Amino acid sequence: MIQFDAVSKRYEGGHDALLQLSFDVPDGEMAFVTGHSGAGKSTLLKLLAVIERPSHGTITVDGQNLAKVRGRGIAKLRRRIGMVFQDHRLLMDRSVFANVELPLTIVGIGRADRARLVRAALDRVGLLHYERQLPATLSTGEQQRVGIARAIVGHPPLLIADEPTGNLDPQLALEIMGLFAEFQTTGTTVLVASHDLRLIKQMKKRVVVLHQGRLVADLAAEEVL
Amino acid sequence: MNVPVETVPMTASRKRTAPTSRFASWREHHGWSAGSSLKRLAQRPFGTLLTVAVMGLALALPLAFYLLLGNVQQLGRALGQDQTINVFLQNDQVAQQAQLLATQLRGRSDVATVTVKSPQQGLDELAKLQGFSGALDALDANPLPYVLVIAPRADLDAPGVARMSADLRDLRSVALVQDSGQWRARMDAMLGVGNRIVLVLAALLALAALLVVGNTVRMDIASRSEEISVLVLVGASGAFVRRPYLYAGIWYGLFSGVLAVLLALAIEFSLAAPITRLNAAYAGKLQLGGLPPWLLVAVPLAAAVLGWLGARLVSAWQLRRAA
Repeated sequence: MIQFDAVSKRYEGGHDALLQLSFDVPDGEMAFVTGHSGAGKSTLLKLLAVIERPSHGTITVDGQNLAKVRGRGIAKLRRRIGMVFQDHRLLMDRSVFANVELPLTIVGIGRADRARLVRAALDRVGLLHYERQLPATLSTGEQQRVGIARAIVGHPPLLIADEPTGNLDPQLALEIMGLFAEFQTTGTTVLVASHDLRLIKQMKKRVVVLHQGRLVADLAAEEVL
Repeated sequence: MNVPVETVPMTASRKRTAPTSRFASWREHHGWSAGSSLKRLAQRPFGTLLTVAVMGLALALPLAFYLLLGNVQQLGRALGQDQTINVFLQNDQVAQQAQLLATQLRGRSDVATVTVKSPQQGLDELAKLQGFSGALDALDANPLPYVLVIAPRADLDAPGVARMSADLRDLRSVALVQDSGQWRARMDAMLGVGNRIVLVLAALLALAALLVVGNTVRMDIASRSEEISVLVLVGASGAFVRRPYLYAGIWYGLFSGVLAVLLALAIEFSLAAPITRLNAAYAGKLQLGGLPPWLLVAVPLAAAVLGWLGARLVSAWQLRRAA
């Protein structure tokens, strides 16, 4: 369960990215966070991953107050969160396999298990035959799928994605969203920041709408037209 | 995109993804870090070779000096075996008194041998020297006294020899004591200075090696800030991120230590022929040596520790900036 309770974020210089934001995401739910550019979508995800700290309010993940998470605790928390970025954040000098393998290496999983899990994750995103290639040799959509494979390979209970389809054509974007929806069915909580309203409508999931850092709408799946 | 849902039984495999025991995990991390850092060094062979060469040369210099000083010390010891003290007795001392004193001196624990040279033997030795025979013919009587030639024990150090000389000078029957071993005391003192210089040089060059590793690791971290930020985002701890750089420091140190030893052995090899000739000139009395085997192992290990230290000092601060 993710809980935002009266969360505000003010950056240095006085810009308010989030203002008094309160909402919950139950375990196993998939929700979209949407809004115009500068609405606070990315900031919200950064607060969840403890990349940024809130100026006010409390964020709780599985009962753990993120304000109290420090040092090694941050690394441990991030191991439980699969992160997908718009710019993929792949290591270009390492193979697809090595990129996807990273989260497993970090938690100390043995080589044989790593290989099995990496291949399973790559198979899941349809890239098993690309495992030896460098990311630079892949298309943007394929690189994004490598990023998704890396996010899901350790089977984290929470998956967050920041504009994961920003650079993709509509068909590929829909396929990527389909993947996220599929992870949700296996019990993973999925939170996706996207400004693509057409895509969000197609997915028919809960939508949290932000405007200038404030929550302006929280629509259940059935309310999404 | 063909995505077979059944391919990965997520709940089942979630159970299997649990990290193995703490030790296995620790071993896995270290194995990965050591391997990946070695791979990185191999990926830029020119830069790695350059760093290793600079460090290796820096470490080889004190080793070469150590080798040189060790051999000078050995040479001094070998030559010191010929060291004697000539005790010239008063002119009124006769053969019986000279023999009596020689017997007394043989009883000293610091004396190896005492040889009595009569005035006639002394005159005969002088006569053999070119240019002296004519001058000696002009003498009415033999002016030379009895001389006791004393060889100190081989293991007697320079202060011990000096003490013995002082004791001999205090004897009433002795006119003059000629200590041919004084040069040895001076050489010992010079070797002491040399040893200190080697130590200071070794410390300074070790510091230089430390800075070379530190700077190389600093640049490595700076060029990999993107990778570091990704690692941190996917849950790597500070220790995990830092470990490959520490291993890189160890590799740099180890390789440069091996290079330093190889260079020192090359120097030793190049000295072998002249040393053999020198030894032959001293009838095989010289026992000049090379680097002791323990040093051949200790230098690479110490250099590895040095590399680790350099990397550690820099990485903590640099990684914070990069992350």
